[in-house]
Amino acid sequence: MNIDDATTAANDRLADRDDMIVCVDVDKFYGDFQALKGVTATIKEGEVAVVCGPSGSGKSTWIRCINRLEVHQGGDIVVDGIELTNDLRNIEKIRSEVGMVFQQFNLFPHLTVLDNITLAPIWVRKKPRDEAESMARALLERVGIPEQAEKFPGQLSGGQQQRVAIARSLAMEPRVMLFDEPTSALDPEMIKEVLDVMKELARSGITMMVVTHEMGFAREVADRIMFMEGGEIVEVGTPEHFFTNPTEDRTKLFLSQIL
Amino acid sequence: MSEEDPISVALKEEQVSPNEAPRLSVLQWFRTNLFSNWANAILTVLGLVAAFLMLRGVLNFVFSENREWVAVRTNLRALMTLSYPESQYVRVWVALGFVVGLAGLSAGIWSDWGGVPVRRLATWLMGAGALIAICVIVREPSVIIGTDGKVVRTIEGSPLRESFVDAMFDRSSWWIAAVILLATGAGLWSRFSRPVRGRWRRLRSELPITSVVFVGIGLVILSLWVVPYGHYAFVDGTYIAESGTTVAFSTQMPWTVMWVLLGLAFLVGRFLRSSRYVGMAKGGSNMLWLISPFALFWVVLRDPALDYGHVLSTDLPMGLAFGLLGGALLWLLTRNNIGEIGRITATALLVFAVFNWVAAFFGWYPMLQKARISFLLLALAALLAPNFIGEVAKRRQLVLGWLGVMALVHYLATMINTPSTVDLQSDEFLGGLGLTLFVAVIVVILSFPLGVLLALGRTSKFPIFRMLSTSYIEVIRGVPLISVLIFFSVMVPLFLPDGMELAELAAVLTGYTLFSAAYLAENVRGGLQSITKGQYEAADAIGLTSAQRTGFIVLPQALTVSIPQLVGQVISSFKETSLLAIIGLFDFLRVANSVIPAQSEFMGVKREGILVVAMIYFFFNFIISKYSQRLERRVGLGER
Repeated sequence: MNIDDATTAANDRLADRDDMIVCVDVDKFYGDFQALKGVTATIKEGEVAVVCGPSGSGKSTWIRCINRLEVHQGGDIVVDGIELTNDLRNIEKIRSEVGMVFQQFNLFPHLTVLDNITLAPIWVRKKPRDEAESMARALLERVGIPEQAEKFPGQLSGGQQQRVAIARSLAMEPRVMLFDEPTSALDPEMIKEVLDVMKELARSGITMMVVTHEMGFAREVADRIMFMEGGEIVEVGTPEHFFTNPTEDRTKLFLSQIL
Repeated sequence: MSEEDPISVALKEEQVSPNEAPRLSVLQWFRTNLFSNWANAILTVLGLVAAFLMLRGVLNFVFSENREWVAVRTNLRALMTLSYPESQYVRVWVALGFVVGLAGLSAGIWSDWGGVPVRRLATWLMGAGALIAICVIVREPSVIIGTDGKVVRTIEGSPLRESFVDAMFDRSSWWIAAVILLATGAGLWSRFSRPVRGRWRRLRSELPITSVVFVGIGLVILSLWVVPYGHYAFVDGTYIAESGTTVAFSTQMPWTVMWVLLGLAFLVGRFLRSSRYVGMAKGGSNMLWLISPFALFWVVLRDPALDYGHVLSTDLPMGLAFGLLGGALLWLLTRNNIGEIGRITATALLVFAVFNWVAAFFGWYPMLQKARISFLLLALAALLAPNFIGEVAKRRQLVLGWLGVMALVHYLATMINTPSTVDLQSDEFLGGLGLTLFVAVIVVILSFPLGVLLALGRTSKFPIFRMLSTSYIEVIRGVPLISVLIFFSVMVPLFLPDGMELAELAAVLTGYTLFSAAYLAENVRGGLQSITKGQYEAADAIGLTSAQRTGFIVLPQALTVSIPQLVGQVISSFKETSLLAIIGLFDFLRVANSVIPAQSEFMGVKREGILVVAMIYFFFNFIISKYSQRLERRVGLGER
């Protein structure tokens, strides 16, 4: 079985799944500058999609459009059958189904780790407090830091903070997780602990869209890798295809620079 | 680490780690800090000389034979409440007792003091003894008064002073006090700097806080019965020195009750702190602090002559109806599957409530003011209801909160609408420290929410809110406080429609609150701008609504950041109440500056009163400032 057959096989494997995120011709402008130029892609339920590309290529902008942290000006974005429009109710619905992990963690510094995680389940999902807390403790166990529940974010290391941020997103029981360069602000020795959590998450079957420069992670867990440059998706393929037999010159150049 | 309260220092002392810098001996400390080089030594000496001159000046002023402290002693009541009617004076004490009790309760509930280290106590005692000794030596010898009661003068015409030795003998009682304090302190210090053995073994090196508080209170009460603090009177519009035994004229008994109350409330607070009701107690005491200024105002100024027929036929049924029916409605609106019906109902209620007010303005149909207010509150509660959807406990919270608010609002409204029987003798019924504190507290409490709203408006993404808030803030900040006060006391009554009256105090409070809110808004805005974009995005990403985002994420952090500025605002609001004198109110400073010097007994005696007033202002502001430092430390400001 050659590599392109593998890609086809992967696409076949995903073909019978439901579409989770559908983007059609998404355009995004900052003033005169066009950050996204007709981005079209479909991410299936349970898929792990890694988005990579040089800085300024629009990958972060794209992922932030998907839960409306940025507003796209053209095209359509549909998440789990809900179209992103200016309708606040749709935005609320999508945000409660889509978890996001940021480069700078963005934990709430005035709340304890436990309160960081339980805030949204209690106030958005209307869960009873003790139920939310036991779930939060289970999530902290899952990301490997159950003993930090009562601390404040400022008392944790970067890697621990990012794991809390992942737990905070998971507490909303999202169907999709977006990761916006989750390891870029971390010291090298802390990257692995975060990636391990993300790998475990990828194997659990949740839909993930990850913007990252960690090619090892991409090779290991991604179902598909999307390469972006200049606001466009240049190449899409399985990791085998992407790393061993890229078709586009720009992809080859990018890979030669970072590998 | 220059500003540390004794408690945290003491706590640190308890756990000295080997890594800490070695303790310097006194001599080493002097050498490294005061005499490290020539320039430093010269500055030290100059500083000491300046301190000596200032201390001597103050002492000579305070203890001068020319001072008439009796003017202040006699007028303590005037300084506190000016001309509040004698027969009703018990109300003032009740109000004060409430505040004192609440303060003791809160101190007990919130204090995290474990105990007072004996060595710390010993240092305080020795410090006090040394201070007294220094003051006794520094003060100049007194002027000699001859047998004819006049100052003895030398040939050159300057007053003759006693010799230094005579002066020291004259001050022997002060010396005794200083020596007792020093000896007690030194004794305690030496006892507790090595492990305690023998009879004292059971005493730990720390005294429990409750015993320290009670000994302190005991000493204060003792001083009430030993030190002649003074009696005073207000008769027929003039002040005369007179002693009396009624509640209005006595200090000893009421103040003894106050201090006992403080101690007992502190005990209750400590008990609650260790019980499982601590959360409820904290919330309850906070609520009481918020509503007490308004409630106490009515206690002091009003004695409603209730018409019980009306109360039973109208007031009570109406309050109950709003409480119970409103509660039932809110219970329904917090059901899990309420969906859109909740929003529609809340909006409909709001429209109806606003329409009621419009109708009142044009006089379309009559309606009790209470009902209008209740409908508006119900609409607001209905708007808040979606936040309480969920488990039964949460829904119950909302309904109970509603019942509490209704009870309070209907009680206050009934009391305010009933004519008062308190016979106020003159226009300046509230004056002195009472007026100053009342205005300051009300202004701070009222301007806080308004200021926060203005700040949120100014940083809102809706242009109309932004424009309105910005122009309001800029207009108010461009106008001096005095002109705002004059405008509200003189001009506003002219603009009011016929039949509507605004008491001068109410007008002034309104103006001052609006003024203060503008400044407060700018301080809060500074805090709001320090919140990073990431915090907003994270709050959005986990699905919080914008109200929840503001309430849980943005405001707590913004207010924490702006604590220093907010406290500065509180302090300046408190001090600037002295401008009330300009529009004719008798505030604390004006009593000392104009009322006392106008009394026939104390014609022109001004400086003593002003010094005392300044000290009391300082006392309050010092407490506020100290408290804010603790608050800043507790929320970890400056450490992140």
